[in-house]
Formats: sequence, structure tokens, C-alpha cells
Amino acid sequence: MAAKTITLNLKIWRQAGAGASGRFEAYRLERLDTDMSFPEMLDVLNERLTLEGREPVAFDHDCREGICGMCGAVVDGIAHGPAKETTLCQLHLRHFQDGQTLTIEPFRAKAFPVVKDLVVDRSALDRVIQAGGFISVNTGSAPDANGIPVPQHKAEQAMDAAACIGCGACIASCPNAAAMLFVGAKISQLALLPQGELEREQRALAMVQAMDREGFGNCTNQRECEAVCPKGISIRNIARLNREFLRAAFIGEPLK
Amino acid sequence: MMKLDAKIPDGPLAGKWDRCRFESRLVSPANKRKFQVLVVGTGLAGASAAATLAELGYQVKAFCIQDSPRRAHSIAAQGGINAAKNYQNDGDSVFRLFYDTIKGGDFRAREANVYRLAQVSNNIIDQCVAQGVPFAREYGGTLANRSFGGAQVSRTFYARGQTGQQLLLGAYSAMMRQVAAGRVTLYPRREMMDLVLIDGKAKGIVCRNLVSGHIERYSGHAVVLATGGYGNVYFLSTNAMASNVTAAWRAYKRGAGFANPAFVQIHPTCIPVHGDYQSKLTLMSESLRNDGRVWVPGKTGDTRKPQDIPEAERDYYLERKYPSFGNLVPRDVASRNAKEVCDQGRGVGDTGLAVYLDFRDAIQRDGIEVILKKYGNLFQMYERITAQDPGSQPMMIYPAVHYAMGGLWVDYNLMGTIPGLFVLGEANFSDHGANRLGASALMQGLADGYFILPYTIGHYLAEAGAAALSTDDAAFAGVEEEAGRRIAALLKNRGTGKKGLETVDALHRRLGLLLWDHCGMARNREGLEKALALIPELRQEFWDRVAVPGSGQELNQSLERAGRVADFMEFAEIMVQDALAREESCGCHLRDESQTAEHEALRDDANFSHVAVWEYAGEGRPAVLHREPLAFENVTPSQRSYK
Amino acid sequence: MSWFTRTASSSLGKKYIMALTGLLLGGFLVVHAAGNTTIFFGRSVFLFYASHLHALGIAVAVAEVLLLALFLTHAITGLLLFVENRRARTSRYAVCSSAGGRTWGSATMPYTGMIILAFLFLHLVNFRFIDHGVTIADIVAAVLARPLYTVLYGAGLGALTLHVSHGFWSLFQSAGISHPKYDRFIRISAWLVCGLIITVFAAILLLLLVNSNQLS
Ligand SMILES: Cc1cc2nc3c(=O)[nH]c(=O)nc-3n(C[C@H](O)[C@H](O)[C@H](O)COP(=O)(O)OP(=O)(O)OC[C@H]3O[C@@H](n4cnc5c(N)ncnc54)[C@H](O)[C@@H]3O)c2cc1C
Ligand code: FES
Repeated sequence: MAAKTITLNLKIWRQAGAGASGRFEAYRLERLDTDMSFPEMLDVLNERLTLEGREPVAFDHDCREGICGMCGAVVDGIAHGPAKETTLCQLHLRHFQDGQTLTIEPFRAKAFPVVKDLVVDRSALDRVIQAGGFISVNTGSAPDANGIPVPQHKAEQAMDAAACIGCGACIASCPNAAAMLFVGAKISQLALLPQGELEREQRALAMVQAMDREGFGNCTNQRECEAVCPKGISIRNIARLNREFLRAAFIGEPLK
Repeated sequence: MMKLDAKIPDGPLAGKWDRCRFESRLVSPANKRKFQVLVVGTGLAGASAAATLAELGYQVKAFCIQDSPRRAHSIAAQGGINAAKNYQNDGDSVFRLFYDTIKGGDFRAREANVYRLAQVSNNIIDQCVAQGVPFAREYGGTLANRSFGGAQVSRTFYARGQTGQQLLLGAYSAMMRQVAAGRVTLYPRREMMDLVLIDGKAKGIVCRNLVSGHIERYSGHAVVLATGGYGNVYFLSTNAMASNVTAAWRAYKRGAGFANPAFVQIHPTCIPVHGDYQSKLTLMSESLRNDGRVWVPGKTGDTRKPQDIPEAERDYYLERKYPSFGNLVPRDVASRNAKEVCDQGRGVGDTGLAVYLDFRDAIQRDGIEVILKKYGNLFQMYERITAQDPGSQPMMIYPAVHYAMGGLWVDYNLMGTIPGLFVLGEANFSDHGANRLGASALMQGLADGYFILPYTIGHYLAEAGAAALSTDDAAFAGVEEEAGRRIAALLKNRGTGKKGLETVDALHRRLGLLLWDHCGMARNREGLEKALALIPELRQEFWDRVAVPGSGQELNQSLERAGRVADFMEFAEIMVQDALAREESCGCHLRDESQTAEHEALRDDANFSHVAVWEYAGEGRPAVLHREPLAFENVTPSQRSYK
Repeated sequence: MSWFTRTASSSLGKKYIMALTGLLLGGFLVVHAAGNTTIFFGRSVFLFYASHLHALGIAVAVAEVLLLALFLTHAITGLLLFVENRRARTSRYAVCSSAGGRTWGSATMPYTGMIILAFLFLHLVNFRFIDHGVTIADIVAAVLARPLYTVLYGAGLGALTLHVSHGFWSLFQSAGISHPKYDRFIRISAWLVCGLIITVFAAILLLLLVNSNQLS
């Protein structure tokens, strides 16, 4: 792994706090190892800013292996940057050219207010899950695990949907800031499993209602969400959401 | 003076948990809502506990550092979760899971705890399946299992390579249901700064609101810490960036005993370090060792490409030294041997700190399709990070810090030495002894949260009573003021124009290196004593020279990290002391002085069959060591041998 | 709110409305295109078709009202979605690029929709709200012989192509009809239907521009 290095020009969104107005600031980083990950590059920048007595760039991250869904920013107009099925923390600098200028912005959506710099508030997603993204089974009342057989292909499809890491890139990249892929993935996971059957209609109605309340946009089937999803979650899950909600609207008990 | 009473119920092993439940006092259903429980941490342990307590009717407040409880470090676990279901009909049983786990821990865990863990393991799988966790299935729709970490039976349940994620999302969703029901209140982006004791009992916590910077007080009838492990004390580890020791350390300084801090597991198959900028290490599942062969060049300083090194000049050192287990020796043995060959100068890669894990022979034998079917996603992950294809050239791996077996001491009821302080999951020391078996941390976290704490906490609460709570107590004010002072101290160099400041990460990296060198895979008196001398110096440097920009009244990630590193700087000392005091080799802990003639770890049951528990003795005074003796009535400790 | 209004006013409800009205409008387009193919066969066939259509009397009036309702529902719901979707992102990105999901059609739906609406006015003014003393064949021939109208109609047709190219696939997705078994079928038939309609209309435009005697 002979180290190759590049220089990058960064234009990063800086915003002091929720209500503050933001602007871009430019930084030049030289001799960056191309084996470095994106957050490691921001670390390098922040180390420098800190020693210069300036404010480092705030950005969310935790696992740095593409599973916690904490990281995320829009790089040159694309959520999580240019590499397919990759979170920002797994994006390595070898994807960029020497001397390239990158514009780095926070995820933008009305439902995701900026907290600071690249950090946004995604608690809306938690509230959508609260509305129905679960199976109501108290600890202790479960039957034997093999008492609920699940056909293998259904389990696989459910897992495909359950792979969602809740990063919010789908919303950030959607021209309408819609949350359908996120909601569709959860609805799908639970609709595909026999365990989810009992609450199927209530779940669809409640989660869509919560989603609308949070101020997400409407889906216009533009497929940007699927294109940026780091876990490759398919819009087939949105189709399933559409189906589930339609079914629930006509045959489900209305929400109280 | 600390008293260690493990409160293990009498009677035969298999009946202890039943007996404990029967003898525990109960809180009547109508009274449960009068109790407020604070749960710090929303990983597997915390989320499952919060959900279950709320289902029972308690009022719960749940805290976590991340912006959402779903992002706790547990999310990253890949391999799977053990249970004694014996669905494969291959000879598994509760007793066998118990035996494997206690043997895996090299006989440094309590029999009673581990047995209970094996007992409730089956309920965990039932619960998770009912929640909609999409475990792998056979064609017929029943659950699939795999054998993991060298176990002789297939008892590991898994959801692709994302088992931790799916289990956590299950627990998270159960907790979110309770949030909607109004019984759990969430406090994300909060960091517990300290524990508040009133009349010697844990009665509250003080947190920093990470967005506003405000110090907030919360009171509860009991405090549950499920704050994860402290592997990040080494700076580089497989843990998430925010994993820390702060909550546990603060509890320790308020009087909670800290058990076996030196027991840290180092995982053999991680992607090696490749630059100073590196911020964390990525685990590659150890299942790779089922087909990959580990080797290094026979000669030192061999810089040829791996393909150019002829078979005769390769040293398949694990196969050579351990003919019966070969590449499948336990984690600690594999890790230590990798270090040994690298120390001999036979390591590979740019840094010389890596060994090959070669799939050439497996690919020749089975064909690339078969190998890709088994390991395709791991190969992809490796290639994404290193830009090299393990299908055409050997992977490079190196050991990395992975899991903390040590943690706050708890009794059989999961209560620490402070009444009302319960500790769950990786944050406690309870079940893994000196070495954790693969796929058992997830099991333990969920056992603690779903099935143990909900019973044992009731006993405590019933006795302690639902006295009115208030955060106006002087104890809160005192603790809050201390927290404020610590923040001010961390910020004191800001804007002073002082020369020679260092960043938090730079100082943390130095601490990590120091520990890795002297309290890593193999330890000896000389190195440990050296570390003991160096740590206070480094700590002093930290406080003198740490550069933390910004203020305490805003989102300030440097300040957050600085606080955690400050605690690591103190914690490192008892870790090293513990390693020094344990003059035997056991599990992951190898003392150079305690080896067999063949250089294998030599346990000393006569002198060290105990849990080492450290008690805080005040600022500047050495911590006091207490010992909880371990008794083995149902299994006979044997010396491990993998020859 | 009743369950119906609640459903209809939800984000998904609006999608269903768009899908359903879109489907029906698509159906109208097919019929319209089919009817217009009579132009290819010259004046008499075209007039024969027109007179038979008008002979349906009241049915035509009813159909017109229904059609108007469809158009209005589709347009109003579309505008509502457009406004809501803009509101869902209060601050815009400085750099906007596609990760490969959107198509020209999908990205321009609201705009092509508005162009189609404008075009519709023109079209109605040209052919519907006119002095019916002259035969429809003469009117059509007169209007479409003028290059300006060819351009305007061409533009309308362009917008329609883009709109339908996305809309036809999209309505299936919105209705939840998606499965590996028939996904390709939906996509291909959507393109075919879209292609067919557009070809018919475009051919008429060109034919009438080039051959001013087609309808005489
Ligand atoms: C890469 C990797 C793979 C693994 N694979 C496996 C596997 O296959 N099988 C297995 O059994 N185990 C595995 N493990 C181990 C296992 O994942 C962990 O031990 C386990 O998930 C720990 O869970 P926990 O609930 O105790 O803590 P964590 O999940 O670490 O959660 C800690 C929680 O505490 C919060 N917290 C911490 N400090 C504070 C504070 N001061 N204030 C407020 N909140 C705080 C955090 O925000 C978080 O919510 C793996 C570990 C790693 C790193
Ligand atoms: S930091 Fe966890 S997904 Fe990127």
C-alpha cells in the first residue's frame, strides 16, 4: 500500500447554531493520504483548526464503519458523496482527484434542522418509529422462536429492508425531502414477517400520519433515495408502503 | 471500606436463579409507576432494560450520547448471538453453553452468573424473533445457526453480518413503543458527567446536554448504567468513537468497585493500521479463519510480494505451533502469536505490523464462487477500505483492542457496591471472566436488560421505597458544581495563546500507544511499572497542554472528547495496576513471567482464582484492591491447551 | 375528518389521486390519439369520426365535464404537492446533483405539468371554443399549417412526452404495483404507450405542416 497523497480544496458549510445564518468557508488540505476516510480527513482539518485556535468543524460520526448511521453530509450535491452504497465514513479519498474542490453541506430538510455546521437534528425519524415501527410484544410473552416459521425468502426480503441504518440520506437526497424510503423500509420489514401481521394496518396508518406531521415532503418517485442509500434499499419498499397504506385505509380500523 | 457480597443464592446451580426470583421482593403493579428509574445508555443492555422496565410499569428516563438511541455501539456487532436452543440437535444444552462460556473465560467468572446467562439465552431468542428480528432461516422456515468462535456446536443465531444492528433495532423499537406510551422519556445527546448519591444510595445523575451545553440534573429511585466498554482507552480499537469509560469511572470515584480492569480482549482479525491519521480499527469477522491460512515470511526483512514467496519460505505459524487447532485457535492465542512474529521482524505490509490471511488454497480447493458466497461481503468491506482484493492476494490483518471484560463490579443482582446503582452489559464485569467467547456479549447485554435486571431491581426498589424525588438536594448542587469546574479546567487554555498546546486526539493517541506497548497483548512487571510511572506524567501534560477550542455553552465536540480522555487518563492507571497485581496469565491477559515451558499462558489458580476489585481511595491515594474469591463447584478448572 | 378525507389528504393519498387521475388522463390521451389517427386517412374519415363523436350528444357533454374534473384534480393536487414539496426543504443546496435516480421526466414533472396546462388552454381555444360554422377539418388544417403553431404544439407535445415518460411508470409505483416478476413489463409497456401516443401526435403535426392538403 504505497501511500499516495493528494491535495483537496474544501468548501464547508459553517453555521454556529440552529437559528444562525450559515456560510461556506474554504480550506485547503495538502498531502492527504488517499487511504484516509472522509471523517479522518475532517479530523486532520480539525486538528489544524484547533491548533490555530479556530473552531473545528462539527460533524456527526460514531462507528466509522458504515452501520450506525450517525455520519452524513452532502458532498458536491450527493448525500454521502460519490461512491455507491457507501456511507460518508466509508468513503475514502482515493475517490477524489488531486486538486479537486469539494463542497460539503449538511443534510438539508425542513424536518432536519441544522444543529451546528454539518450536524443536523434527525429526531423526526425516531418519532416516526414511535408511532408504529414496532411489534407490540412485552418481554416474556414470546412463544418459542421456532413456533413462528418464516419462509426463507421472506426473511431475506425483510432483512433487505431492515438493513436501513436510519442515516437520513434518502431524505437529504430526495428533491422533495420525503421520508418514504425510511418509512417504507420499516413498514416492509414488519409487513413481510408473520409477527408483524396483527398490527399491519394500524402501523401503516400511524407511521404515515407521523411522517406527514414531521413535515417531510411527498414522494414523486424520483428514485434519488435509492441511488444514495448506503445499504442499497430498494424503492420496492416504497411500493409496498403504498400498498400497505392503501389496504389499511380501506380495510383497517381508523386511527383513534 | 467496601464489602463485596456477591449475593449468590444457595442451592444447586440450576435452581439458583429460580430461587433468587422467588426470594426477591416484588413491587405491586399499582406501585410501579411511582418509581423513577434512570437508564444511562441505550445499547443492547440499556434499551432492553428501559423497554422492559417500562412494560412492567416503571417510569423510565433513558439517556444516550448519540442523536438517536438506535446508534449505540451495539449496532456494530457482526457475527451473532449464542443460545442453548439446541435447534440443530447437535448436543448443545444449557450446561454446555455454560461450560463453554466459563471455560472460554479461563475460569475467572462466577459459576452462578454464567449459568443463569445460559439459562435465559433461549428466552432472548424467543423475544427477539417475536419483535421481528429477521434472523437467518432455513428453507423450511426454521431458524438457522452457525458455529462461531471455535465452538463445537452450532448455536449462534445471526442476521447476515448485522446481528448487533438487528438485535439493537429490536430493543430500540420496543423502547420506542414505550416512549409513545409515555413511560419512557428519551434524552439523546446527553452525556452523564457524574453520579449523585444521597445517603449513600444512587439517586441521580448529572448530565451535559451536548447541544446546549447546559448541565442538567435528573433524579431517580435507581440508576442503571449500561454505558458500554472502555476499549477506547487504547485510542485505536474496534469500538465506536464515542465509547468511553466516563460514566463507569465517575461511579467508581463515587465508591463503586471496578472489577478486573486489566481484562481486555484483543481481536486477531482486524484491518491493520496504515497511517497516523487513523482514527479507528475495523474488525473483520473471525469466521474468515475457517478458510484463510495465517502466515508470514520465514525470514525477517523479506520484502517480496506475497505471491513471490515460495511455499517453503512461508511460515504458517499457527498451523506449525498448534497442529490440532491450527488457524482456529482462540482469539487471545491468535493475537499474541501475530504480535510475536511481528516483533521478530517478520511482519508484512508498509508498517511491518500485519500478517497474511491467505485464501489462495481455499480458492484452489473450493473455487472462488464458493469462497465468495461465504465471505463476499467481508471481501468487499476489506476492498472498500484497503483497495485490495483478497480474492487475488492475501488479506493483511493485525490484532486490535475489541472488548472490555472488566467493568464495574456487580453482585448476582447486577447491583454495584453503591446501593441503587445497577450496571449492565459491557459496562459490568460479570460473565466473561478473563476472555469473552464470540457471540456472547450480545447475549449478555440482552440477558441483563430483558430478563435479569427487571426482576432484581424490583427487589431493591421494594425495599428502598418510593420516597419523593427532588433535584434540589445539596448533593446535586455539589456534583453539578464539580462537573462545571471540570469543564472550565478543560477549557482553560483556550484563547491564551499559550505555546506548545496539543489536541485531545494527539494526547489520547499517546496514551493509547503507551498502553498498547506496556499493557497490551503481553504484559510484564517491567513494562507495567514503566507505564505506571509514565501515566501520571502524561496526565499532567494533558491538563497543562490540552487545546480545547470553543465554549461549554454550545455543541462542542472537542470538549466532549476532552472530558472522556481526561477520564481515560485516570482510568489507565488502575488498569495497569490491575495487570501488575495479577501475576498470572489467564485468558486474554498474558504475563510474560507466567508461562509454561512451551511459552503458553500459565494460570495460577492457587493465588489468583479471584475477581480483583478496585476501590477509589481519594485523590492522589492509591486505589485499594479487594478480592472476591471464585469457587468452582460444578466445573473443574482445567489448563487450556490448543496444541 | 372522515377516514376518506384523511386518507386523501395524506401524503400517500395525494399520490394515489395523482396516480388515478393520471391513469384516466392517460386513457383519455390514448382515445384521443386513436381518434386523431383518422386524420391520416384524409378529410372524409376525419369528419366521419368527428360527426359520430358529436352524435353521442349528452354523453360528450358528460365526458367533457368529467374530463375537466379529472384535469382540475390532477392539476390542483399536483400544484399542492409542488408547493408542499418546496416547503419541505427550506434551505436549498449550493450544489445540486443527481446520484442517478432522477430522469429528465421525473425531475421536471411540475414544470412539464404547467406547460401542459398552458398548452391545454391554447388547444381548447384553437379547437374547442371556436365558431363551429366551419368544419373541424378546416380549422385543424388552418391552425396546424402555421409554423408558429407547429412550434407551440411541438413544445406542448415535448412537455407531454417528458411528463408521461415518468408518469406512466410512476403511477404503478404509487399504486404499489411493483414486483420483480412484472417490473420490466410495466417499464416497457409504459415506454411503448408513451411512445405510441407521442408518435401519433407528432406525425399529425408534421403531416399537416408539410401537406396542407391532407384535410381538404
Ligand atoms: C466491531 C464489533 C463487533 C462485535 N461483534 C460481536 C458479536 O458478533 N457478538 C457478540 O456477542 N458481541 C460482539 N461485539 C461486542 C458487543 O457488540 C458489545 O459488547 C455490546 O454490544 C455492548 O453493548 P452495551 O449495551 O453494553 O453497550 P453499548 O452498545 O456500547 O452502548 C453504550 C450506550 O451508553 C451510552 N453512553 C456511554 N457513555 C455515556 C455517558 N457518559 N452518558 C450517557 N450515555 C452514555 C452510549 O450512548 C450508548 O447508548 C462486537 C463489538 C464490536 C466492536
Ligand atoms: S459513522 Fe457510523 S455509519 Fe458512518
